[in-house]
Amino acid sequence: MNALTIKALGFAALLIIATLAVVIQMDIDLTDSINAIAVGGAIAIATITAYVTTLYIGKMKTDTATGELVDENWDGIGERTNELPSGWAYTFLGTIIWLVWYWFIGYPVFGFSQIGQYNEEVLAHKARYEKKFAAASPSELKDMGKSLFFVQCAPCHGNTGDGLSGKAHDLTKRISKSEVLDVINNGSNKLGYPMGMMPPGMASGKDAEDIATYIAGGLKGEAPASSAACTSCHGADFKGNNGMAPNLVAYDNTLISHVLENGKKGIIGTMPSFKTMITPIQEKALTAYIQSIVE
Amino acid sequence: MFFHWLEKNPFFFAVMTFAVIAFAGLIEIVPNFTEAARPLTTTTPRTVLELAGKNVYIKDNCIACHSQLIRPFKSETDRYGNYSLSGEYAFDRPFLWGSKRTGPDLHRVGNYRTTDWHENHMKNPPDIVPGSIMPSYKHQFTNVADIETAYAEAVTVKNVFNVPYGDDIKAGRKAWEAYRPKVLEDAKKVAADMKDEGVKKMIANGKVPEIVALIAYLNSLK
Repeated sequence: MNALTIKALGFAALLIIATLAVVIQMDIDLTDSINAIAVGGAIAIATITAYVTTLYIGKMKTDTATGELVDENWDGIGERTNELPSGWAYTFLGTIIWLVWYWFIGYPVFGFSQIGQYNEEVLAHKARYEKKFAAASPSELKDMGKSLFFVQCAPCHGNTGDGLSGKAHDLTKRISKSEVLDVINNGSNKLGYPMGMMPPGMASGKDAEDIATYIAGGLKGEAPASSAACTSCHGADFKGNNGMAPNLVAYDNTLISHVLENGKKGIIGTMPSFKTMITPIQEKALTAYIQSIVE
Repeated sequence: MFFHWLEKNPFFFAVMTFAVIAFAGLIEIVPNFTEAARPLTTTTPRTVLELAGKNVYIKDNCIACHSQLIRPFKSETDRYGNYSLSGEYAFDRPFLWGSKRTGPDLHRVGNYRTTDWHENHMKNPPDIVPGSIMPSYKHQFTNVADIETAYAEAVTVKNVFNVPYGDDIKAGRKAWEAYRPKVLEDAKKVAADMKDEGVKKMIANGKVPEIVALIAYLNSLK
């Protein structure tokens, strides 16, 4: 054992002690296999570094050149006729084999592409997602709906769904007086209900005012006589005649799904369609959440 | 021998080295470029009003905080819509990919935001998005958009880059005078969904406020 070996061993020991010090200092859990492997790797690297350095520094001290000098020299620097190191030669041959593989099989045009990988991953994710939430419980749906609401709905309807003081529809209430009046005067929003489009001017003047007050007020008190014009399509209880026309009392599943898929244009502004942005399960989740925030 | 000759002529040696390396590059890059750089069948050139809006987008430096490039990652496509394809930028000069997302990506903002939303938002963003650090762009409601330059741009890219604009877009003062009402018509359609009185007044006077051009441009990002 010479001085060099001792120095190298000392250096390796120092690295290993430093590693262990970090492990102890940061209170790392070594029963976790990932941590254990990482620490093992650090120790292995320290040992291998010490070994390889010793080996080659030792060689540099004692090695002499072998092989014959060739006749040519370049500004006094000569070259010896040694074989190519076998590791290099095999690597070179390996690259030729790899070239053939890459040229005929591995080249991206023939097989792999980033977009293809993305498509596969998304399909796999969708399948997993559909399976996991196929029979989601109401509370699970509500939680999912809440986070979806923050991403997709809150930018316009506000974090609480109140419509940011009139900048979007207030989802905490079913419908406001001005909205009812707008629909009566200008007709329906073409939401895609079986009843089709509502014509403008079903009622006017004080009749329209009375209807709007009655519906926006949550059907309290006596129904105005003129509201007979509404009940023929929206049902006697204004609940939409089992999905034939929009429900005017509550956000039922049909109403939310029609608005999400077709978008909406009303007195406040335009809502885009979310057909391509959310899946059927997410639609269910949003429905559950929106129904839960109505006062 | 050729090899010895090359060794003694460093310039030609460098040229050969470049040729060999460039060949590998060509094999990798060119096939994909020729396929992907063409406009999609659904890609249409921007209208003059939208071009004017694009110039407002550049002038007010939206690109400093907003990108226009959706990468094929699920986290991005969930939020912004389908990933971007290179053919979609075929008519963009310059492209506005951006490299910094202080705000969200805008490449498909036309799919999920509307004119009235933009109007409210550009006046004072924190009113609409709590905690937003985007500044207010009120000046866009009073500044007049330069639709004339936008028209000149359309004529230029049509003649120089063969962008498929219609026959009514051509050089000359007369052609512009004939085309101007169409731009105003487009602007009117956008302004119809807006509530700002000043904007409506400017449109009635035959001027296009920057906000109208910008919203037309944002709505065209799909």
